[in-house]
Amino acid sequence: MSHSTVPRNTAEAQTSAKSPVASGDDTTGSRSRARSGFRARSRSRDGKDPGKLNLRLRFKRDRTLLLMVLPAVLLLLVFNYIPILGNVVAFQDYDPYLSENGFIAIFQSPWVGFEQFERIFADSAFWHAVQNTFVLFFLQLVLFFPVPILLALLINSVVRPRVRAIAQAVMYLPHFFSWVLVVTVFMQIFGGAGIIAQTLRQHGYDGLDLMTNPEIFKYLVTVEMIWKDAGWGIIVFLAALSSVSGDLYEAAAMDGAGRWRRMWHITLPALRPVIALLLVLRVGDALTVGFEQLLLQRQAVGVNASDVLDTYVWWNGIRNQDFSYAAAAGLIKGVVGLALVLTANKVAHLMGEQGVYKK
Amino acid sequence: MTPNSASSAPSRRNFLASTAVAAAAVAGGMPLLSACGGSQSGSKDGTTSGKDAAKILPSFVASTVVAPDIPAKNGSAAGFTKAIAEADLKTSVTKKLGSGGKLKIMAPFWGTPPKGDNPYYTAMNKAIGVDVTWQNQDGVTYDEKLGAVLASSDIPDVVVVPGWNLNGKIPGAINAKFADLGPYLSGDKVKDYPNLAAVPTEAWQRGIFGGQLRAIPMPASYVTDIAPLYRKDIFDKKGYSVPTSPKEFLSWAKEATRPKSKVWACDDMKWTAFNIFSVFPGSDKALWWNMVDGKLVNRIETDEYLEALEWVRKLYAAKVVHPDAVSGKAGGNAGNRLTSGEVLVYNQNISDWWGKMSEQHAQNPDFEIAAFDIFGPDGGDPKLWAVQPANIFTFISKKASKQQIKDFLAVCDFCAAPYGTKEFMLTMYGVEGTDYEVKKGLPAKTTQGVNEVNGAFDYTGNPAPFVAYTDFPDVTKGMVEWQQRMGAFTRKTSFFGLTVTEPNRWANLADSFEQLEDDVVRGRKKISDVQQAVADWKSKGGDDLRDWYKKLLDDTGSAK
Repeated sequence: MSHSTVPRNTAEAQTSAKSPVASGDDTTGSRSRARSGFRARSRSRDGKDPGKLNLRLRFKRDRTLLLMVLPAVLLLLVFNYIPILGNVVAFQDYDPYLSENGFIAIFQSPWVGFEQFERIFADSAFWHAVQNTFVLFFLQLVLFFPVPILLALLINSVVRPRVRAIAQAVMYLPHFFSWVLVVTVFMQIFGGAGIIAQTLRQHGYDGLDLMTNPEIFKYLVTVEMIWKDAGWGIIVFLAALSSVSGDLYEAAAMDGAGRWRRMWHITLPALRPVIALLLVLRVGDALTVGFEQLLLQRQAVGVNASDVLDTYVWWNGIRNQDFSYAAAAGLIKGVVGLALVLTANKVAHLMGEQGVYKK
Repeated sequence: MTPNSASSAPSRRNFLASTAVAAAAVAGGMPLLSACGGSQSGSKDGTTSGKDAAKILPSFVASTVVAPDIPAKNGSAAGFTKAIAEADLKTSVTKKLGSGGKLKIMAPFWGTPPKGDNPYYTAMNKAIGVDVTWQNQDGVTYDEKLGAVLASSDIPDVVVVPGWNLNGKIPGAINAKFADLGPYLSGDKVKDYPNLAAVPTEAWQRGIFGGQLRAIPMPASYVTDIAPLYRKDIFDKKGYSVPTSPKEFLSWAKEATRPKSKVWACDDMKWTAFNIFSVFPGSDKALWWNMVDGKLVNRIETDEYLEALEWVRKLYAAKVVHPDAVSGKAGGNAGNRLTSGEVLVYNQNISDWWGKMSEQHAQNPDFEIAAFDIFGPDGGDPKLWAVQPANIFTFISKKASKQQIKDFLAVCDFCAAPYGTKEFMLTMYGVEGTDYEVKKGLPAKTTQGVNEVNGAFDYTGNPAPFVAYTDFPDVTKGMVEWQQRMGAFTRKTSFFGLTVTEPNRWANLADSFEQLEDDVVRGRKKISDVQQAVADWKSKGGDDLRDWYKKLLDDTGSAK
């Protein structure tokens, strides 16, 4: 009897576990599509039919809300949109010292067209920076990105609240260290005169120095990043996990699903939208792979290994006051970044996820 | 971009009292000068010397309160080894010149800055009659902040700029943002400020930026400021003798390095290598050039430059350099590695000789360091090149009012008081009982004094170069005599003594060489990469820059 029931149960468990996923997937997909369609329709109705007539009424009605949004809009304007105008210096030979005020100097600087861009594309250091940026991005994607998910799953499986709280605290803590401290700690442990190297030497082996090797630098910064920020990254996943109904697990357990099956068929699907969202955000941010961390270790491994787009812009713009050149490099980064967000979002849509925004 | 700027951790504290020169006044009679082709008003490029300079330079009125115990020679500073009793101190500022106004001064600081309202600052402000607020910025990364600060429309009233931070467009920024002091100091007007009138003309010449006298210079000895300092106490104990050639240094270093007990022979020795191999100085861009066989040659084009890098590369390859030094700035402070005994030799501004001695004296009485003589590439006498006779400048903003400028000059005049005056004692030692104590007739700084009386008022005016550490007479003697021995081997490059503003379009040409040097010596790049970079530099404008400098030299002459 047991012999016959077991396979049947497994089969049942498989289908039952699968179908909620499949259907859930379908419904969220279609639901969201339906919702967006509805919203689009209702918006067009609001906007066109009673639109102009109602504008004043609507303004009156939403006055308080608009007022509350105002400061945020102002901040956005002042700190995000107005500075965008500064990008015109990328097409100039900008000298901020022409006038008392760096802003007025923009109007006095000569236009040079695309000369700065030509200089950049001819600069091998720029291409090094681009290459390093992408290498670091892929390494972070492969090595760093999954770690918070795994940690979240691990923490989630801990039942005792006390242990859980302590574990979380321990994992969050490194996030609050400054990079200077993180680099110093790594140096004290893995550096040429660090604990490991000195211990090895005392026992008759050669010391090792992981901090100044350009070859492994990309892994080193990824590891530093994992140590510092992986714990912090689990917060979002934990939030997503807490919204999964316990009923699902109970039902699955009743149907005989083991730990792994429950994780595979309930937990991970629940995390999927969050993972997709974060992935899109990360890809959109691909060209930002760290700044302070890399700047601090610039001398330790050399420019070829450590220069990424952000540090390249800093070096040329701030350190060497070649502002136009740096602005042009920053503009390139901005344009490529925008393209990446749009692409990643498109891919998310194709996968049936919401992505950052809807169509 | 100069070797000085990005070192691993120069603790250039105590800079001030370092060095300086008996001034050979600017030789007159050179042809006119300057300002070739500055098309834009604010950033006049070129330099000023000869008759044009003579028109704006302040007169020189010597003032000697006390004759130095070791007179200046070969470009060295003057040394004072004997302390002067409180009662015998003279007064050099007879009436308070300050009007009680306020000044905000931004300056580099190596170490941990003291609190803004500490007793030393308060006493100085009271004595001068100006309410000075200090914005102390980290000296190691000062170059990274200057550009941004000067680009803003709200710069501090007074800004201190070290010469090795005059990279890229900074000289242009200085011409645009800072006031002309000529109307207050040129010719006999300086006599209103007797202590400033005693500043050597050679130093004033360096204060001419963009055709106007804009800076209060800090006079310095033209003998190289970077000395190879070694742990004399450990050398004596272990029986090491001081190396006398690059080869000997390397073999000694291999012997002395004991990684197992956490001892390495040296820290980064790049700056010293440039001196050993007779490379043109890197601390000021105009000094990079020198006339060789009728042609202007840049330091990066010389064989000596490559030889120096190759020798340092050998040191790194032999693993005699402390591993943390390999990490550069991230590796921590080179001076701390010396005092803890992890390295036995390092190079630093010579004022660190006294700086480290006085810092360590209390907790470690056996601690002793000294500078060894720089040797030539094959041992024997070196051929050294002179550094600028003033390399730290203080400017006041163009926006400052007349009264503020006068207050500023009052501060400078007070701080430029010579040895043997009350003003000097207050500026250099601070408040008695708090910052220093008199023991056996010798003033000695307290821990608080070491922290407070450092890297502030000392920048804003200084008498002719001097070394006066009466609490360590042997160190004073050692420093001055080292400068005199090295001074005997020192010659001047073509643009010595001049402050040159390069045209904007070439100002960033050589920005990457310092990083490249650091990569080469650590074995991450090859000497051939340097040669490639030099070829690129030439084609991107290096040769044009050479023509520009040549024309400058033909038109204005040198300062010598």
